[in-house]
Amino acid sequence: MLAFVIKRVIQSILVLFIMSLIVFSMINLVGDPVDMLVNPESLPEEIDRVRRDFGLDQPVHVQYWKFLTGAISGDLGNSFIFGRPALALIAERFPATLELATCALILAVSVGLPLGIYAGLNPDGWGARIIMGGSVLGISIPTFWLGLMMIIIFSVFLGWLPVSGRGDTANFLGIESSIFTLDGLRHLILPAINLSLFKISIVIRLTRAGVEEVMALDFIKFARARGLASQRIIRAHLLPNILIPIITVLAIEFGTLIAFATVTESVFAWPGVGKLVIDAIVNLDRPIVVAYLLFVVTLFLILNLIVDIIYAALDPRVRLQGDRQ
Amino acid sequence: MKKVQIASSSFQDNAKIRNALLENFSQPTTLLSGGLLFLVALCAIFAPLIAPTNPYNLAVVSIMDSRLAPGEEMFDGTVAWLGTDGAGRDILSAILFGLRTSLLVAVCSALIALIIGLLVGLIAAFFGGRTDTFLMRIVDIQLSFPAILVALVLLAVLGKGIDKVIIALVIVQWAIYARTVRATAIVERRKEYIEAATCLRLSNFRIIWKHLLPNSISPLIVLATLQTAHSISIEATLSFLGVGVPITEPSLGSLISNGFDYILSGAYWITLFPGIMLLATVAAINIFGDRLRVLLNPRLSK
Repeated sequence: MLAFVIKRVIQSILVLFIMSLIVFSMINLVGDPVDMLVNPESLPEEIDRVRRDFGLDQPVHVQYWKFLTGAISGDLGNSFIFGRPALALIAERFPATLELATCALILAVSVGLPLGIYAGLNPDGWGARIIMGGSVLGISIPTFWLGLMMIIIFSVFLGWLPVSGRGDTANFLGIESSIFTLDGLRHLILPAINLSLFKISIVIRLTRAGVEEVMALDFIKFARARGLASQRIIRAHLLPNILIPIITVLAIEFGTLIAFATVTESVFAWPGVGKLVIDAIVNLDRPIVVAYLLFVVTLFLILNLIVDIIYAALDPRVRLQGDRQ
Repeated sequence: MKKVQIASSSFQDNAKIRNALLENFSQPTTLLSGGLLFLVALCAIFAPLIAPTNPYNLAVVSIMDSRLAPGEEMFDGTVAWLGTDGAGRDILSAILFGLRTSLLVAVCSALIALIIGLLVGLIAAFFGGRTDTFLMRIVDIQLSFPAILVALVLLAVLGKGIDKVIIALVIVQWAIYARTVRATAIVERRKEYIEAATCLRLSNFRIIWKHLLPNSISPLIVLATLQTAHSISIEATLSFLGVGVPITEPSLGSLISNGFDYILSGAYWITLFPGIMLLATVAAINIFGDRLRVLLNPRLSK
């Protein structure tokens, strides 16, 4: 087990290094950030001074070396636009994204799981057909467009909920979040539903498939033969068996929620990391883009590692040596 | 001997697909989604012929017509059934032209990714060992990151443009094809006809091309269908975020993005109608692909 974890950690660091190399060299091929930083009418000396100040006059490999040595000590450079450390900016914005993604995940499980179980237990009923039809729609509907439609309906026409932003936050048990204030909740509800809809559909489909598979197995038939109540069969025999794959998938899906939050944050002007990076891409603010990428790559590598460990711990059939076949 | 075997197996496959399709053509879901898909494709192909106006001919578009509500008459007497946008373009015509761009990007990228994935998957399955481990490791790493994120980063680097969006979508999609092909091909690889071909000292290229490829391709039909829907969605999202297709050659995504600026003033039609078209297209492909998966999978059919 330990050997497996060490091997995976080394592999992850290697991936991280290669990603940083690719991202850094590619991002230096496009656009000159100096054009965005100075007034086009500035004197040439002024432009040269800015270029020197940001270290952009040096060759790419020197810039990369400076970046890499900085990165190891936790310094990913200063944002060109904000003039502050890129990593600090991301750390500042991340709680908002985390809050949005967590709420979406909770929604996805609490709505998707019961609907999926219902559809799996009554596969031929009208209820199941409506649920499954809805899930196809949920997978097909583009998140950003749905967000816009929600704003049009609930904010513009009905005027029930605010259009954008995060609203008030409050501190409870050391967690600064908008779920503790009414205003914060009013701001949170549309983005969270918007972000969760795709995941709800996925959870429904996963759960239904799991239920159909497990219900056909012998131990369920045996439980039925013993005359157990169907409530008890569902809770004691069905749920534990379908939850393992769903939880594993959800851990990975949490990563994609954070990635997809970029879209929802842009629609609802939610002040998270996604919004930050989209603005940085448009403004050619290289340090933020690079820092965000390394941050997300690290997050994904950690999540994947955790999933692999959980999976191996739960299912002894999984071989850990990375050996295929 | 081997030729006969291969010919018969691919013939059986064809017959199976044809029978399954015929048998299920009576099903309303299949018929409806297939019909909708056909209609959407026709609209995209013949857009310049059926669109009431050319929304990108600056000589025709007039700012006088800007933000007309659906059903109002434009300056030159044409009725804008779905309204006009901020620059006075007819939304219906813009949707038909946008659909063209969206489908072009999605189909091109799906095809190119399919070819690359097919090659990688076949090579990994045929040679096995280190080649297989190495290639599949790359696939694993690639697939551990969400498509939208990878595409976003690539486009941040590559810049805007239809060709760049296609490149980004190919890079995002090839891995899933490679994994699927490898899974089928590795089973085929162990069958006797490949062994026979190896004994006959046929070249590796010939074995892969003539024997492994035709027998590994069928699971890709469904995957390619579903991936096309997926890439339409991703392209729209990227264009909405402002890193995809430029506004000079709008896709459905950039039309919706364009309407984003007007939603607070109540001009809902600029975002609503392109979005409905997008949803209808993606949903039709998804449902059709889903039906196809059930039909072609013997394990799932009752």
